[in-house]
Parts: sequence; structure tokens; C-alpha cells
Amino acid sequence: MTGTMQMRSLWSVLIAVPSLFASIALLQMRIDAETRSIAPQKDDLLLRSPAAIQKMSFGYDSLLADIYWTRAVQYYGARFNTKGATYELLWPLLDITTTLDPKMIVAYRFGAIFLSEKGTAGAGRPDLAIELVKRGIAANPDEWHLDYDLGFLYYWRIKDYESAAKSFLAASKKPNGPQWLAVTAARVAQKGGSLETSRIIWSEIYESNKDPKIRERALETLQGLKAAQDEMGLDQIAAEYQKRFGRFPASVAELRSAGLLNGVPVDPLGYPYVFGPDGKAALNPDSAVVIPQDLNSLPAPSH
Amino acid sequence: MSTAPMPVAVNTFREAVRDRVLYNLVFFALLMIGAAILVGQISIGIDRLVIINLGLSAISVFGLVMAIFIGVGLVSKEIEKRTLYSLLAQPVRRWEFLVGKYAGLVLTLVVNTSFMTLGLAAALFYVGRPFVRSDALILVAVYFILLELALVTAIALFFSCFSTPMLSTLFTLGIYVTGIFASDIREFGDLTKSPGLKALTRVIYYLVPNFHNFNAIAAASHGEAIPLVLVAQNTLYAALYITLLLVAASAVFSRRNLK
Repeated sequence: MTGTMQMRSLWSVLIAVPSLFASIALLQMRIDAETRSIAPQKDDLLLRSPAAIQKMSFGYDSLLADIYWTRAVQYYGARFNTKGATYELLWPLLDITTTLDPKMIVAYRFGAIFLSEKGTAGAGRPDLAIELVKRGIAANPDEWHLDYDLGFLYYWRIKDYESAAKSFLAASKKPNGPQWLAVTAARVAQKGGSLETSRIIWSEIYESNKDPKIRERALETLQGLKAAQDEMGLDQIAAEYQKRFGRFPASVAELRSAGLLNGVPVDPLGYPYVFGPDGKAALNPDSAVVIPQDLNSLPAPSH
Repeated sequence: MSTAPMPVAVNTFREAVRDRVLYNLVFFALLMIGAAILVGQISIGIDRLVIINLGLSAISVFGLVMAIFIGVGLVSKEIEKRTLYSLLAQPVRRWEFLVGKYAGLVLTLVVNTSFMTLGLAAALFYVGRPFVRSDALILVAVYFILLELALVTAIALFFSCFSTPMLSTLFTLGIYVTGIFASDIREFGDLTKSPGLKALTRVIYYLVPNFHNFNAIAAASHGEAIPLVLVAQNTLYAALYITLLLVAASAVFSRRNLK
């Protein structure tokens, strides 16, 4: 073969190979589109038995656990804050993950958050979250974070303050368990779910976590709790105003004129509070602060 | 002690390198790089776990593939290429030839595994994690994998002494899978009401090599201590089994008619 012919065949290959690959990719796109129109893609788990999957892992169960955990994270992430989304595969995915690797603490801790969050932010199943964390504690008896998480679930989701106090106390007694948890346990046992106790617990979550998403969530909740606490204080001042003048204040300015307030109280994002016709303080409509749900069931702040 | 197996071992190692067996290291490197870059973006809190689990699993899988597919051809390839006859014409006994071939492949696996372990360490370093004392457990897990690979190589070599490569592959894989499920086989027997079946499954349990013994990947990834006595027991277990297989292989090969 001459040099010219060799060059020609080389160029032919250099052109033909990328062209063929491009054609294959285009064809695959068409096939994907066609397949989607025939049967819309649906998430499913072919195997739901953690024990069967463990047997089939051929000893590579910890690697398989990583894959299932990643799948659980992706599954949750794809549905997070999506209207009408359901999380029915979340529990099976977490069940498989923690059966394959019972030592994967992160799966218990984050999995409990995914399961317990309400509305579009999670499965709204604190019962399953508690089961998951209890399983984690059984497999990792020295891990204080899991007792702490269990206490938090009882405290914040179930409002079972007795169980919450027990779990916080158990966490404080574990190796490396912080001593402040014993104080928190005592406070929860004594004062239940007061706003101040909630603030202390969320502050600890904010301080002790490195994950930016959890810190952001904790900060939002802390802002909401602060606003709830402010509103309660303003309500008391408004009641005092009503006693003096026989009517509720229409604005914060009226409270200042009456000498009941020194300045203009603002929420954690800097927006001034407003008053409704019933004399109740409320967040400014422009403010992005969100007061946590179910706070009505919490007792008034203790001073 | 005879030094005749040494040149055979060195030649087997050279041959494996010439056959570009170590090219699998490129795939391993790509796998580690991909995992190190991707995992932080698609999962939560398991960067370190994935690197260790994936790295050790890949070391095990790549090693197993090499041990089985090269192991079953150790003898048959020499017969096929007729190099065995010139070799045996030298003052090399048949068992020495077998031990040399075995040692050569184990050396290849040790070199391959060592490079992969370095790759794993580099990937861990890349994900920004300072090395801690418990990382020594990764080395213990790698050592267990090497014991497993040495045992699988001995099984493959044993079958290759009297069977075709295709059948030897199937037999080795069969023994390997049975060895992984050894505990389950015993449990099935315990579940049955038949004393005969129970006894049989117990015999199988103690007869087949229990590969579950060598699985320390999960313990290494979670930094759980592996008792030194277990390391010693596993070493002895593998050594005894390998000796048994090499003796059996030598006995079979010595009686084999090579004409």
C-alpha cells in the first residue's frame, strides 16, 4: 500500500468513526423518545427484599449499600418540594441500604430527615423515621448522634416529650455524647416543647452540623421560632394597650406613642411586624420568614 | 529447598506483563478518578465510604478475574504452545513447574493489587481526607483480598491440571460461588428436619473454601478493628488450603500423560 493510500484510509477512519458514533447517539435519542411515549418511565424497585439483595451481593454488600444510598438520595432529591410528589419507594430504599450496611450512620441520620419531613419536603412518616433510627441504634449502640436524632424526632415530630427526654439523656451517656444533652433532657422533661427549648435544640443542630442544607433548614426554623416568640411578646403588649385604651393597636407606631415600645420591632429578616384587627401581631407580608407549623400546640415561652 | 520454581515464576510474571495484563490498572485508575469526582455531587456524606468500598471491591473483582482466567490457562497454555515439553526436558520436576507457575501468577496479582492500593490511597487523598490511623485497616482488607486471590488461583491451577480452560473456569467459579454461600448452605441444612441433609450441608460447609472469611471491606470502610488473631487464622486457613490444592494438583499433574 502506498503512503498516499495509507493516509487516505486513515482519514476515512478518522471521519467515519466519529460520524458513526454521532449517528448511533442520534438514533439512541430517537429510541429513547419512542420508548418514553410507549411506556412512561416509572421508578420502581425490582427487588424489595433486603435479605435477598444481601445474598445476591456476593460479599460486596457495602458497595451495594453505597449504591442504594445514592439512589435514595437521588430519589428524594428528584421529588423534594415538587407538588404532588410521593415518596413510596423511600422506605424500601433506606431499608435495603441499612440492611446491606448496618454501620452506615449517614443513611439513618439523613434517611430519618427524608422520612419525617412533612408536605412536599418529605414522606411525612415520622413513625418510619423513628423505626429507622431505632434500628440504627441497635446496630451502632455507641453512636450518640442516633439517640440525639431519635430524641429530636420524638420532640419535634411526635411531641412525645417524655420519650424525647429519655433519648437525649441516653445520648448524653454514650461515649463522646455531649453533656449539654443531659441539660436538654432535663429541660424537655420539665418544660416539654416550649419555644425556648425548641430554640435551644435547633441552635445546637445549627451549630453542630456541617451540612449546608441542614444548617440552612435549622437557620430558617430558628428565624421562625424567633418570630413566633416576638409575636407572643407583642400580643402581650397589645393586650396591655387594649386594657388602657379599650381597643387593640392598629400599628406598632401606636404602641410607641403609648410608651409601651421603645423602637420598631423587626423580624429576623428586618421586616417590621404588623397588627391585625384582632390585635394579634403578625409577620410582614413581604417577609420570607416562615413560622414552623404546629407551633400552636407548644406552650407559651417561659421567661 | 529446590530453587527450580523461581525461574518459572519469574517467567510467568514476565509473560503476564507482556500479555498486557496490567492494563487493567488503567481501568482501575479511571474508576477511582470518576468516583472521587462524581460521588460528592450525587450522594450525601459517603465520599470516603464510596472510595474505600469501590476501591476494595474493584481490587477484589479485577483480581478474581485475573486469578480465574489466567489461572485456568497456566498449564493448558504451556501444553498448547508445546513449551511445556522443552521446560520439562530441563531439570525441573512437574511439581516444581506447577509451584513456579502458581508463584508467578500470585506475584502478578501482588504487583497488580499493590498498584491498585496506591491508586485507592491517591483517590482518598484527592477527596480531601487526611490519612488517619484506622486507614491501616484498608491494608488489612487488601491483605485478605490477596489471600482470597491466592486461594482462587490455587483452585484454578488445580482444575487446569486435568481439565480444559473452559471447564476449569466453570469449576473454579462454581467453587467460588459455593464458598461465598457456605454459611447459607449450612443454615439451609439446619432448617431441614432431615439429620442426613443436615450432616451433608455441614460437611460441604467445612469442605469448600469459605470465602466469606476474607471479606473485610465493610469493616475497613467503617474503621472497625480487625483482631490480629483473625488475621493469623485467615493466613493459616489460606496457607493450609493452598498447600492442599497444590499437593493435589502436583499429584494429578505428575500422573498425567502428556504425550
